[in-house]
Amino acid sequence: MAIKEVQTTCAYCASGCQIGMVVDTEANKILEAKALDGRTNEGKLCLKGFYGWDYLNDPQILTKRIRKPMIRRNGKSSPLEEVEWDEAIRFVADNLNRIKEEYGADAIMGTASARGPGNEAGYLMQKFIRACVGTNNIDHCARVCHAASVAGCQASIGEGAMSLGVPEIENAEVIFNIGYNAATSHPIVARRIVKAKQKGCKIICIDPRVTETARIADIHLQLKGGTNLALTNAIAHVIIEENLIDPDFIELNTKGFEEYQKVMEKYTPEYAQRICGVPAEDIREAARIYAGSRHSVILWGMGITQFRQGVSVVESCCNLAMMTGNFGRPSTGVGPVRGQNNVQGTCDMGDLPNQYPGYQNVTDHAIREKFEQAWGVKLSDKVGIQLTRVPEFVLEEKDQKKQLHAYYIFGEDPVQSDPHAAEIRATLSKMDFVIVEDCFFSRTSAYADAILPSTAWGEAEGVYTSCDRGFQRVRKCIEPMGDVKTDCEIISLVSTAMGYPMHYESSEEIWNEMIDLCPKFTGATYEKMELYGGVQWPCYSKDLSDKGTPYLHKGGKFAHPDGKGIFIGVEYEEVYEQEENEYPLSLSTVREVGHYSVRTMTGNCRTLRNLEDEPGWVEMNPEDCAEKQLKEGELVWVTSKRGECMTRCKPTDRVKKGSIYMTYQWWIGACNELTIGQLDMQSRTPEYKYCACRVDKIEDQEWAERCVQANYKAIRMEMGIDISQKGGEA
Amino acid sequence: MNHFVKGNPDLCIGCRTCMISCVIAHEGRRIFEIDPDGYDFNPRLHMVKTRKISVPVQCKHCEDPACMAACPKNCITIQNHSVYLDTKGCIGCKSCMEACSFGAIDMVTTKSEKQIDGSERVIANKCDLCANVPGGPACVRTCPTDALQLVEEEMLEEKVANRRLEAARSLAVTKEFPNG
Repeated sequence: MAIKEVQTTCAYCASGCQIGMVVDTEANKILEAKALDGRTNEGKLCLKGFYGWDYLNDPQILTKRIRKPMIRRNGKSSPLEEVEWDEAIRFVADNLNRIKEEYGADAIMGTASARGPGNEAGYLMQKFIRACVGTNNIDHCARVCHAASVAGCQASIGEGAMSLGVPEIENAEVIFNIGYNAATSHPIVARRIVKAKQKGCKIICIDPRVTETARIADIHLQLKGGTNLALTNAIAHVIIEENLIDPDFIELNTKGFEEYQKVMEKYTPEYAQRICGVPAEDIREAARIYAGSRHSVILWGMGITQFRQGVSVVESCCNLAMMTGNFGRPSTGVGPVRGQNNVQGTCDMGDLPNQYPGYQNVTDHAIREKFEQAWGVKLSDKVGIQLTRVPEFVLEEKDQKKQLHAYYIFGEDPVQSDPHAAEIRATLSKMDFVIVEDCFFSRTSAYADAILPSTAWGEAEGVYTSCDRGFQRVRKCIEPMGDVKTDCEIISLVSTAMGYPMHYESSEEIWNEMIDLCPKFTGATYEKMELYGGVQWPCYSKDLSDKGTPYLHKGGKFAHPDGKGIFIGVEYEEVYEQEENEYPLSLSTVREVGHYSVRTMTGNCRTLRNLEDEPGWVEMNPEDCAEKQLKEGELVWVTSKRGECMTRCKPTDRVKKGSIYMTYQWWIGACNELTIGQLDMQSRTPEYKYCACRVDKIEDQEWAERCVQANYKAIRMEMGIDISQKGGEA
Repeated sequence: MNHFVKGNPDLCIGCRTCMISCVIAHEGRRIFEIDPDGYDFNPRLHMVKTRKISVPVQCKHCEDPACMAACPKNCITIQNHSVYLDTKGCIGCKSCMEACSFGAIDMVTTKSEKQIDGSERVIANKCDLCANVPGGPACVRTCPTDALQLVEEEMLEEKVANRRLEAARSLAVTKEFPNG
């Protein structure tokens, strides 16, 4: 047996853990994953890092690897047939060119993938959509998670990323943790929170649930879901009222405080108490603790961004940090902790409808000219369509010329991940041409007219960006199975076939083209990533002495042209869909620690599947369970105005009466059948965290169990799994 | 004195990495090569979550184990500072499970072995401190927050000695020894 060890970056959350993959090169198999001493993980891994590589063995538990290109030769009603690459690429290129000719470039939309493919593929995808297709209709799943963080932070402080690095969290004196459940979304970041607590850090936790962080918090503000802004405004009110602000910092480094103060006036703790259900005295206490240190760190997750006021709450968090002078030194600032392994990177690479790589606006004439020169074509100056608006531009738009007709879905699974699944299915069914580029068959691939099979994490080279702006190398561990190509190669082939030639010898060649176009990334060469283990952007100079930037806004200089942070005060508004008689409970979507994203990867890992499997759980307060006479493990119906699904009841006093929680990666217990497609109008992020639902008891449990088994089996067969070979039990 | 693995709820984040690493330590890496339904997933420690606590619970390796006394087949012995269950002779009588005050023993089915009636064999399952695993308990080694610790005799002695010292000091400045 020939064995090698390959150092790479974990495929899962954006903690950026370094893993040593031990590979049997003769058998072309991974033997184990070792925890390496990376900057963020310090020799630790979580369950996904240790055991999440098993999908590379293609055990076909949930779905299976796509091993050959497939097309529907004779239109939508014809079956997906396996074809050679040449035919598949030509089919895709011809159809995209046809649609472009008929309806214009803006009739085509593409996504990039924030998962396995990496930054080079992300760069190429937006280049393809912009330079070859000729539109800015490019987006990715940041839209449904942290787009509000990017928009809010860019508006307030000029930079839409964590201002501090993960290691700095453990040296904070105060952690203000809002809408962020690190234990499930980033166990290796949770480790820093735990360590901070051990070192004497005070923790303020703002969450409607008792999370692991709430459990160890000094103060837990268990607010009513959807009332974040009323609470953060009230905290600002107290800081101003009790004169706990840093007047010098405000004077020197910010603008807009006067007007902002006026907006905050009415948000007394007593006023907020009536909205949030949090005692006024606790709000005062939290404000005093937060403002009591100059090493206070704010961490947030989707518990603030997936609401209609996501952007405003992000801005509100930036306000708190600015008014207390908590920026510009180690262990201060704000941390929107990005969820997926490369969702920071996919934003970095300009897979956004309004920005080129390096956060450069498509509407800026000089910037556009720079990219036109580099790419040798005229580029569109019109901001593109956000992916959450795709249903609107397919189902609602009446003017054919303004509709979206083609969707190139690269490494995403909107049928599983996007809100209001029935609407997504109707959208994809109605589109003229849908391309799915992925490594696994998914709920979305069934709607494809062409499927382009790609390599997975572990089978290709590249760079990921961790949640704290850290560029790190991801390396090939094994040879891919089947007739698949790397994402970079696929995109290049499609582009070339459409008449815009692309050819790259290596991922580094793509990287070098990208960094030369992006001042913030110019210094982050492969050489430095090898030498230093990684580079946190911004890194302006290629000189080896520029090792990047651990924390942003040094000395209070913000990333706006005049260097000033901007106070933005916004009034609280209620969520879109309130509880009512027929739907008396509020549903929020949350995460399961052992599963990732839409589960095509972790669901195909034996041991992760053993911990949690279909149909998932609905967490409910024991009082609500008692009212319906529900026991733990019992199958129930959960229903909203938009759909229904079956899942298991989990009574827990960690959740409040009246609110329920489900995780979004299950096929049977698919909570996105229930969620609402209403968006934050600034970031176009959906309000996943609040909709009205009902839970119903199922009298015939045996029937329900059979239903779950049968449905699961049917979907697995739809994915092409040979049930007789692979077993039919869920 | 027997050793034991102790969880610390102040450090635990409830992620259950320990439960998977326990299974792999006992089943071997072969599970990644075989039918996904062809192995036993029987962790020997279990995550317990209440409103205020998250921590894995496992065998305390008692000095005078009630489970050992209860086993009619003498499958449970003390070996190498641990309470060891040899499942070869286990008849699935559940006596040990009922005897254990800590809920540290459960009954599990094993796919590879059949009972006399042809059904899957049911046996007792408990922590063995990774008796035959190089490097010691896998749960301790893989916990991302170091929430699990292997407690050995010397460590206990040191801890007790330190507590005595603290107690002595407190006696010097207070009239009454405080409770606890």
